Amino acid sequence: MKYFGKKLITLIMTLFLVSVAAFLAFQVIPGDVVTSILGTEATPEREEQLREELGLNDPPAVRYFHWITGVLQGDLGVSYRYSKNMNEMMPVAELIGDKLPVTLWLAAVSLVFIVAVSIPLGVLWAGLSDAAHGRRGGMLARVGHILDAALGVVTQATMAVPSFFLGILVTYLLGIVLGLFAPGGYVSYQENFAGFLVYLIFPALSIAIPKIAMTSRFLRNSMLTELSADYVRTAYSKGTSKRRVMYGHVLRNAMMPVVTFLGMIVAEIVAGSIVVEQVFGLPGIGRLLISSISTRDFPVVEILILYITFVVIFVYFLVDILYRVIDPRISGT
Amino acid sequence: MITIENLSVAFDGTEVVKHVSLQLEDGEILGVVGESGSGKSVTALTLMGLAPAAAQVTSGRILYDDVVLQEAGRPCDKALYEKYQGARMSMVFQEPMTSLNPTKRVGGQVEEVLKLHTKLAKEESRSRVLETFAAVGLHDAEKVYASYPHQLSGGMRQRVMIAMAVILHPGLIVADEPTTALDVTIQNQIIALLQEINQKQKNAMLFITHDLNLAKRLCQKIAVMKDGCVVEYGTGEEIFGNPRQAYTKELIEAVPSRLKKRRILKAPSNMADEMNVGIPKAPSNMADEMNAGMPKASVNMAKRKITGTLHSAEQGSSILQVRNLSVFYQEGSNSLFSRNKKRCVVSGAEFDIYSGESLGLVGESGCGKTSLSKAILGMNRDIQGNIIHHSLRPQMIFQDPYSSLNPAKTIGWLLQEPLRAAGALDKSLAMTKADMETAAYDMLRRVGMGEKYFHRKPSQLSGGQRQRVSIAQALITNPGFIVADEPVSALDVTIQAQIMELLQQLQQEMKLSCLFISHDINVVYQMCDRIMIMKEGRIIEIGETEEIFHHPREEYTQLLLCNS
Repeated sequence: MKYFGKKLITLIMTLFLVSVAAFLAFQVIPGDVVTSILGTEATPEREEQLREELGLNDPPAVRYFHWITGVLQGDLGVSYRYSKNMNEMMPVAELIGDKLPVTLWLAAVSLVFIVAVSIPLGVLWAGLSDAAHGRRGGMLARVGHILDAALGVVTQATMAVPSFFLGILVTYLLGIVLGLFAPGGYVSYQENFAGFLVYLIFPALSIAIPKIAMTSRFLRNSMLTELSADYVRTAYSKGTSKRRVMYGHVLRNAMMPVVTFLGMIVAEIVAGSIVVEQVFGLPGIGRLLISSISTRDFPVVEILILYITFVVIFVYFLVDILYRVIDPRISGT
Repeated sequence: MITIENLSVAFDGTEVVKHVSLQLEDGEILGVVGESGSGKSVTALTLMGLAPAAAQVTSGRILYDDVVLQEAGRPCDKALYEKYQGARMSMVFQEPMTSLNPTKRVGGQVEEVLKLHTKLAKEESRSRVLETFAAVGLHDAEKVYASYPHQLSGGMRQRVMIAMAVILHPGLIVADEPTTALDVTIQNQIIALLQEINQKQKNAMLFITHDLNLAKRLCQKIAVMKDGCVVEYGTGEEIFGNPRQAYTKELIEAVPSRLKKRRILKAPSNMADEMNVGIPKAPSNMADEMNAGMPKASVNMAKRKITGTLHSAEQGSSILQVRNLSVFYQEGSNSLFSRNKKRCVVSGAEFDIYSGESLGLVGESGCGKTSLSKAILGMNRDIQGNIIHHSLRPQMIFQDPYSSLNPAKTIGWLLQEPLRAAGALDKSLAMTKADMETAAYDMLRRVGMGEKYFHRKPSQLSGGQRQRVSIAQALITNPGFIVADEPVSALDVTIQAQIMELLQQLQQEMKLSCLFISHDINVVYQMCDRIMIMKEGRIIEIGETEEIFHHPREEYTQLLLCNS
């Protein structure tokens, strides 16, 4: 429990520092918000009025204070760029709240693909390489050698393909040639959740395929290292079959570095897959981030920075907990 | 009954086991003795069906009762072996620290044997495991059952390994150096346990060891292996009483023993004249450096004028004084919020090392030997008390010659490094390139290695040669005082004997004082003038070697002596 308390305090302190940094950065960046909202044609009176409305005349410290207390109370500010209608400004919370589920569901579906495919693949692959080079030889050795090399080439190639190109390939092959889904036919989750999930499968594939290649390769290497450990020999000396040794003894120990790697991947996709969202026309966080940066919609960018920071720290916190679950040697202090 | 007939095993065409024939009756313990690379482990692993895939049986066969387990020209039958392994033959390995799966509870790991070979119900298996734990001397079996390996001591883990090996009463137990990684007092308990199991279960036991004395004590028959061949085979008495092979004789003689005559070391003479190569030429300001930032302790490197004869100190003057020294260890925590905890690992150490003397430091693992030596060398500055050096730049020889030398550099470069370091610290000590090279060549010769090794890299040397390089590296600055931390523990007995002889010879030549750390009291007996016994961070006994050996005061010292 003490451990969680400590982690929580670290999280809060980091978020505080990042919020200050994010806020200050947009004070320093040149460019006038008011001009960018109203255009160059506006009267000075109108400009002054908006300035007052947005609180831009206060000193930075005061503005930071207003902003951060607002954020803490759930008021994330208003977007400079989007508006609800002619008279009402768009609250950032609403803007992000709309897009967040898209990104989170995309991340979830991708992660399911990654874990469900890469772990069995990694174990299988490690088994093949071990048969080819390892302790026990036999019939499998030659076949293992060929498959090992083949998997090496395939994963290498898959890792090297840029994700936008993979997105285009998926769209073309699965969407146009096979007609499994309608490219650009995004279904909003509010309207039809099942349809939304089905549509997500394809962008999720584009995200997952290179990550599957990396993760399975990583797991394979980690398992091969573990296979030369003394406890594996002990397991064999008990008369344990190879399959049992792989799944029962080696996998868990080999998962340690893989979990870190998966954490990095999760942080990356939860923060928004900019390119894939763009290619598949998904209204997610990644696209919002890009458009907000290019339109100087600083309130949105600031909140997104906080969101991404939070996601990264939180994912690493989860990885830390997983470590403790996997390896009893890591204690709570 | 196990029969190994004319067995040869090859890796990539190179035979590492050559025409070995051994026979093991039920209830018999056969010792296989040899140095590393003698093929003893490969023989055992082949017998167990655990040899690497690259190992090929090129001649002969292995029989278990009347069943052929392995035969030349036939691939290892995995399915057959899986039925035998664990149930009818089992193995105890050398490294109890790594031989158990770190992420599974030990109870489950032992139970797996039952799961694989019997149809016992969950509850039955559990109680069977608990019974076996109790039988191998694990008290509080329930608690051990639920523990992870890291929560158990080395001795306990080895007991768990033994429980795993004996739970199904197999006809054959292979023990591959089962006690080498353990402290002496634990070693004896484990040996006694194996003996007891052997008598109770009447199984055949193949006991692999590098320690001839141990084999003699434990085994009915001994086979001595060298370069893949069995060179001598017989009972302990036959082999010790009348060794037929020169190699066996050498092996018997190399074992450090207190029955053998000891070389008396203290013979100071002014040998130092010729040792001016690479000697610091001026007093260093090391004392000031060492004192910086150390409010609690004062370490004094005495500033001494160094002239033609270095360390011309009269006999009996001390080269190192340690007074009321306590050493602390920071319990690692990089948290922002909690203060680091300190643990006292050495408390109230007080001793002197006299000029030209070697002082042995004996104790079991975790007693604080290494912490003490690090404090003396200024590598751990979290100390209280006084360490007063009367020598310049004491050096250290490390235990593991395989990892303590930078593999990317040549021997010549490695030997010059201490000289470069000294020159960089103190401009007045800087030497020319040619001088440093001469000094390195000279040192290489002194440790008994030819000039041709100058341009080689550590990976091209054997363990013994590497340790010679380590010694040369420590002595090239002519330090006057060295700390040798288990310098021979990682070496084979015959090599061990050579290195010990070299150290003794150099010590006399260079009139060197030495703190010699070892867990092996017999090694210390041969090397040291005085012995210091350490237990749980305290020095419990210190005295002349003969005195300690013949009239130990402390109970713990007596225990150490009778266990080795």
